Amino acid sequence: MSALRWRPLGALLLLWLAGCTQWSPPAGTAASPTLELSATPFFPQARYQCGPAALATLLVDAGVETTPDQLAPQVYLPQRAGSLQPELIAASRRAGRIPYRLDPHWSAIEAELAAGRPVLVLQNLGFSFWPRWHYAVVIGHDARHEGVILRSGTERRQRLPMRQFLYSWQQSDHWALVVLKPGELPANVDSTRYLAELAVWERQGRNTAALRGYLAAVERWPDQPTARLGAGNMLHARGDHAAAAQQYRALLRLRPEDPVALNNLADTLAQLGCRDQALTLIERGLRQPALAPAVRDTMVATRAEISARPATAAATECAAPAAP
Amino acid sequence: MQSRLLKRSLIALLVTQSVALATVQPAAAALISTESALTLEQRQSRLAPLQQALARADVQAKLIEKGVDPQAAAARIANLSDAEIASIQQQIDQLPAGGDGLFAVLGIVFIVLLILDFVGATNVFRSV
Repeated sequence: MSALRWRPLGALLLLWLAGCTQWSPPAGTAASPTLELSATPFFPQARYQCGPAALATLLVDAGVETTPDQLAPQVYLPQRAGSLQPELIAASRRAGRIPYRLDPHWSAIEAELAAGRPVLVLQNLGFSFWPRWHYAVVIGHDARHEGVILRSGTERRQRLPMRQFLYSWQQSDHWALVVLKPGELPANVDSTRYLAELAVWERQGRNTAALRGYLAAVERWPDQPTARLGAGNMLHARGDHAAAAQQYRALLRLRPEDPVALNNLADTLAQLGCRDQALTLIERGLRQPALAPAVRDTMVATRAEISARPATAAATECAAPAAP
Repeated sequence: MQSRLLKRSLIALLVTQSVALATVQPAAAALISTESALTLEQRQSRLAPLQQALARADVQAKLIEKGVDPQAAAARIANLSDAEIASIQQQIDQLPAGGDGLFAVLGIVFIVLLILDFVGATNVFRSV
């Protein structure tokens, strides 16, 4: 049944799918490696199962207790003899590690290696018109960047000439992934991409990990509005309303009329018992022209909820410190 | 058989997509999630060029000439659904880029009429 379900999308999936292929490189010249994460674990892959093996390599390296066999049911599609990138990403989230797709350059891989993180890559070991997809883990490179060192298939230490590696990698649109502990930032981090990933964690209710990520982001980019919003939301979710209000106020200093910040701060203040201040904020938000209908609806609902609450806190407690 | 399967998976795809859309819509609950905020930001950045264009006097004059109230047009644009915006974006992408000032004005008027047509306010294109 599930095989049937996949068939119509087969053409689409082929682009994403990676089976596993053995590829014996020509014996490389032995250059002295400048960088090799030799403590990276190694799981020789079972037939076609390079996806689970490569992901297990990254996760165990990042401190997760798992094995390819445990991951296989989450990421391996028997009927396609391979794994899909979205499933590797989803399985990484389930293991509590933040997946982050690297920029499509060798230098991004190099920066991660330098930070001590192995990098999962998707390679085409066949031809462009007859692809043989394969997941492997980059663990180092040699002195003159002439060779790349990988955990690949059944080879514990595979050395590929740089040009050959780059060619095989380029065909997957330079797909490369690292997994991060919550609160860790990638070496060359794109704030938008990193925060979009945290927003998924927030939706999935992985609040503690998301909060750690947002707080790390706030520290790195104090003027990043999304980081402030996320941190506020996650503090609010765990009932720390005073700290949440601080984050929303910081966001309002960056974007004085941001309707989302006004709405969320209003709700937070209401939770703190500052009803009048909350109503003032929500009215200020509702006065804005060209509000998206969904936001307007939420704000109207927030206003109704606030109005139904008693004002319990003293006016002095509600005064916003240096808020606009 | 194949086409039934295809139809079924298309429906499944549409259902999952609309579920995804539904989850990013802020619900009645008071807090707006970061994901919703990001979706909104994307939406605003797509709409901003249209809203700026609508604010221009020359564009408004052209619209009035066509019998369209610019204020009504602005209200319509603010209330477009995400799917409608995506569809309009596609049509805009097909328009030739660049051109002189006159072309730009005509292009914007074309887009506004397209939008109004889309939301059923006019039938300029359907009647052709």
